[in-house]
Amino acid sequence: MSTGIRVASLEDIPEGEGIAVAKDVTGTADDIALLRDYDGSVWALDDTCTHETASLADGWVEGGYVECPLHSSKFCLKSGEVQGLPATKSTCPHRVEIRDGEVYLFPNEAP
Amino acid sequence: MRRAVVVRRIVVVGGGIAGVGTVAALRAGGFDGDLTLVDAGEFPYDRPPLSKDFLKGDKDIKDIALQPQQWYDDQAVRLASLTTVTALRPDVGGVELSDGTTLPADRVVLATGGHAARPPIPGVASPLVHVLRTAEDADRLRSALTLGARVLVVGAGLIGAEVASTALDLGCDVVLVDPVHPPLAHAVGADVATWLHDLHTRWGIRTVHAGLESLVDRGAEVEAPGIGVFDVVVLGVGMAPDTALARAAGLDVDRGVLVDERQVTSTPAVLAVGDSARLRDGTRTEHWEAAQHDGQRAAATILGLPAPTTTAPWFWTDRHNLHVEVVGDMAAADVTVIRGSFDTPPFAVFGLRDGRVVGAVAVDDSTAVRAARRMIDRTLAVDPGRLADTAVDLRKLLRG
Ligand SMILES: Cc1cc2nc3c(=O)[nH]c(=O)nc-3n(C[C@H](O)[C@H](O)[C@H](O)COP(=O)(O)OP(=O)(O)OC[C@H]3O[C@@H](n4cnc5c(N)ncnc54)[C@H](O)[C@@H]3O)c2cc1C
Ligand code: FES
Repeated sequence: MSTGIRVASLEDIPEGEGIAVAKDVTGTADDIALLRDYDGSVWALDDTCTHETASLADGWVEGGYVECPLHSSKFCLKSGEVQGLPATKSTCPHRVEIRDGEVYLFPNEAP
Repeated sequence: MRRAVVVRRIVVVGGGIAGVGTVAALRAGGFDGDLTLVDAGEFPYDRPPLSKDFLKGDKDIKDIALQPQQWYDDQAVRLASLTTVTALRPDVGGVELSDGTTLPADRVVLATGGHAARPPIPGVASPLVHVLRTAEDADRLRSALTLGARVLVVGAGLIGAEVASTALDLGCDVVLVDPVHPPLAHAVGADVATWLHDLHTRWGIRTVHAGLESLVDRGAEVEAPGIGVFDVVVLGVGMAPDTALARAAGLDVDRGVLVDERQVTSTPAVLAVGDSARLRDGTRTEHWEAAQHDGQRAAATILGLPAPTTTAPWFWTDRHNLHVEVVGDMAAADVTVIRGSFDTPPFAVFGLRDGRVVGAVAVDDSTAVRAARRMIDRTLAVDPGRLADTAVDLRKLLRG
């Protein structure tokens, strides 16, 4: 069983914000956005918005959703499900674990 | 005694963001009756890319579909494409279609948008003169925007500025004319408006401060007296709402189909949304999100659900590789606060009134505009000094 990739310290990600992890680190097709909500939870989604080319790591994270920084489509942090236009496709979620203040990413594993 | 009418059949006229937003919200709100979306085009597509990536040729029509085809099936929405509604018949409870049939409806939602205005000046009918509202317009314009083409863009508002920027990207020689200086001051404030307009000059567009009074059709080219000779002229002088159906059916129309705050027209069974509708005693908006919100409000009205919470109006526009967003009402501000520097975007300008944010405009600063929106919605009192300080995290400011 995989132990995940240590990708960041929790303190690297301010609440309400995100950081992007490069795809050569994650081994995925797209970079992965680590997004931290105000309840302290950290979530991971494919970084590129399914609408155009915005980085969701630059988005606004709040209340279980990330809002795209370009045209404001929202995605569910947990499931990646798109909540409204202009994006029409959901994005891919990845599992995250926090151990001793370190963030471990399990690319392509469901949260 | 008044009996509640059970709404079983709804027809939405027009497949722009307002119409598609309406059908989506009706299904999301639990409507399980017959739902038909009638649109003149092949399938509903999104308009903002028409002056941006689609005009540039980086996207095709499939890429800008508002919803994939499958969505209409999944949502059990009957999409009557390549069809127009030719008359509203509230008297018989239905609409007449261009194929000669009548579609029964308990409620009709007008989402007809509008068409690009053509000022009544001589020479405007030349085939070298373009407008931009539909994908066909954009296709036709793109094929004229060849390398080195001499292009005159008339009107330096949102669409004119975007077209000028895209034409420049395509290698055209662009002149931009507008009688107002700076354009868009009412929307973004005079300082940002000036800065935005000056961007054109910095990128190599010639801007002309003048009103265009005539064009001279010279066959293969068009002369704009006093400005120059051009291969292509693009008019970006505004849109005219499509209100003909409403007018013919006797609905109240005045610079838009008049609606109340629930989107209901003067005829209770007919609602109107998006660019074609105007709130009685209000101004008509022509922005993407506002049109979608109208649709959500109309759906709530029809279903008897509480109206969705309102939020400060917001729109975006792009020019010269910069993303500009505007929220709230900058014109209502008595004080402005600059965060960052105009010399080095990202930056944002907040408009305050009585110590509260009432509007904001941001260049490449999505966080500032999202924070501003929440400050406006919560009528939060803010310290201007902290707003201006880029070391202060706006998210923290918002959370107190
Ligand atoms: C080039 C361009 C760029 C834009 N860029 C931006 C932007 O960057 N940001 C932003 O916020 N906004 C932008 N907008 C504005 C935004 O696109 C509009 O506010 C939005 O399209 C309004 O939606 P609507 O559904 O009300 O109308 P429309 O989009 O005009 O849709 C109306 C539809 O109704 C159909 N129709 C009309 N009459 C009938 C009939 N009788 N029968 C059947 N069908 C009918 C039409 O064919 C059309 O498909 C832009 C607009 C344009 C034109
Ligand atoms: S790029 Fe994300 S909504 Fe447009």
